[in-house]
Formats: sequence, structure tokens, C-alpha cells
Amino acid sequence: MEFKHLIIILFFIFIIYSLGSALYYMMKDQGGSKRMVKALTMRIGISILLFVVIIFSFWMGWIKPTGVA
Amino acid sequence: MQSRSDYYIPSGSYWPILGSVGLFAMLGGFAGSLHGSIAGTVAMVLGLGLIIFMVFGWIGQVVHESETGFYNKQVDMSFRMGMGWFIFSEVMFFAAFFGALFYARQLSVPWLAGEGNNFWTGELLWPEFKSIWPLIQMPDASNFTVPKGIITAWELPAINTLLLLTSGATLTWAHWALMNKNRNQLIAGLILTIVLGITFLGLQIEEYFLAYTQLDLKLSSGIYGSTFFMLTGFHGFHVTLGVIMLTIILMRCIRGHFNMDRHFGFEGVAWYWHFVDVVWLGLFVVVYWL
Repeated sequence: MEFKHLIIILFFIFIIYSLGSALYYMMKDQGGSKRMVKALTMRIGISILLFVVIIFSFWMGWIKPTGVA
Repeated sequence: MQSRSDYYIPSGSYWPILGSVGLFAMLGGFAGSLHGSIAGTVAMVLGLGLIIFMVFGWIGQVVHESETGFYNKQVDMSFRMGMGWFIFSEVMFFAAFFGALFYARQLSVPWLAGEGNNFWTGELLWPEFKSIWPLIQMPDASNFTVPKGIITAWELPAINTLLLLTSGATLTWAHWALMNKNRNQLIAGLILTIVLGITFLGLQIEEYFLAYTQLDLKLSSGIYGSTFFMLTGFHGFHVTLGVIMLTIILMRCIRGHFNMDRHFGFEGVAWYWHFVDVVWLGLFVVVYWL
């Protein structure tokens, strides 16, 4: 597995974990706490970071998009 | 607001049968329209109309019942359980489509080119065929539209990703406003999210238009075209549904519904939007970059 795959998988593990915990808090807390909105804030934060990392890596020439070979 | 303490048993409702008839007419009609039947197309449109009528009617009734104090904590929990199972079905739905992409891309197409223990498959069927993804050079393209190219990732798809991620941020901003009792910020955040969602859909239509008119990349462009349009298309349907739901939530917020402790409708739709956002991020990475 390439390094870029590893990085992206790691990001997705964190994103899905925070999204999943938001779902758990939605079910468990029944609107009575801020844990859900905190988890969703974490979710969007990591997602934006991943997007920035992808665009930066492309700009630096480290990765290339899927293209017609 | 007074709540009933006993278990809430809903009275008889005609919405489920209306929804069933609508779904049957829409899907049966769609099958007919694929075979060129005009009656099928009419049934499809009527069925869709019936479903839209049912969705708005049913939601309206639930909102009314909720606001007039019909529901207690137990009903709230059953809504949350329903949402949980709905999400489970959605995860499986997209898992199947991502799975189809993975199977075609990593397994079946390389096998056709002789990889794994399929050396003779490649030799005997199409010895000239090389497995390259995106699959533009098909082994036998006689029944397919051969695309001239594919959508480039850093143009429309990157802008669309930025739009959806920003909409996730504005929705979270609105969510915090709800928790901090700031109704103006809540409404502003929801409006921004809806506008960003609609812009995303507009650009997605633009992308499809480019694909069809300039690149010849169509649903009939072999396995690449099929998986591309299936994944991005169903995602687009989900964004459309999300925009409709967010608009309903916005209307409710303007009318003063929801407070810090009672806002399941908002939470359900917010989570759904975040989910659709994550699916797009997955699509952006897997379809356009990897």
C-alpha cells in the first residue's frame, strides 16, 4: 500500500469515528447534551483538513488525479 | 407544553397506503418507460407526484402532532430508533455501490486482462486488452459509448467538494446556535447551508452536461460510466432530499419550533447532511483521485 493511501485511510477512520459517535450521542443523549454537536464539529474539521491536504499535495506535485492513461 | 405519559398509539392513517401506491406507480411506470411506454411515463410522473404529496402531508402531520404536545420521550426515542435503522440502510446502500466500483476496478477488469489466475481468460478472450482505470479502452466497445475523456478532479469536483464542506461548516454553525439559543444565527446558518447545497446541485448538473455533450461520458460508457453516474447520481439524489429536508427545518425554525432540549427533527436532518457530505468526500477521493 502506498503512503498516500495510508494517510487517506487514517483520515477516513477519524472522520467516520466522529460521525459515528455523533450518531451514538444523538441516540443516547436525546438532545440533552452538546456531545453530538461537538462530534460533528470534529467531523467537519477533519474533513476540511483532508481536503486541504489533498489540494496541497496536488499543488506540490505529490499526487495526481485519476487521468486517462 | 403538556406531554402524554402513557405510550402513544397513533390513530389510523392513510399516508402509508398512499405512499405504497405512489411507489408502485412510480417504479412500475419507470420500468414501462424504459420500454418506451407513454402510459408508463405518465404513471411514473403521477406516482412521483403522489409520493411528494405523501411526504409533505405526512411530515406536516407529524410536525403538527409534535408541536401540539402529542409526543412524549418514548415517541422521541422511537423516532431516533427509526432514524438509526434508516441510516443503517443508507450505509448499506452506498456500501453496495462503492463495493461495485471496487469489484470492477480492482478485481473483474484486471481479471479480463489476465491478472491473478486468469491468464487464459485474457489470452483467449481479448489478448490485446490492457486493464487501465478509468476504463476508456474497453475490450469490446461495440455496444458502448466510448468516452473521449473523464471529468478532471481539480476543476468542478474540487469546487463542489469545497461547497459541500463549507455547507457542513455552516450547518454546524447553525447547530451551535441552536444549542446556544441564538435563533438568528440558526436561521442564517440554515439559509447558507441550503444555498450551498443548491449551488452544488447546479454545478453537478453542469458537470453531467459537460460529460454528456463534450466528453461522451455517459451512463452507457461501459463500467466506468455506469459506476461514475450511479455513485454521483445517487449522491445527488441524496443532496436533493437533504436540501428539501433542510428547507422544512428552516421553515420550522422561522416559525419558532425547536428549543435547546427538543430538536430531534433538526438533529436527524443535520446528521443526514453530514453523512451525505462524508459520502461525497469518499467519492471525491476514490472516484477522482485514487
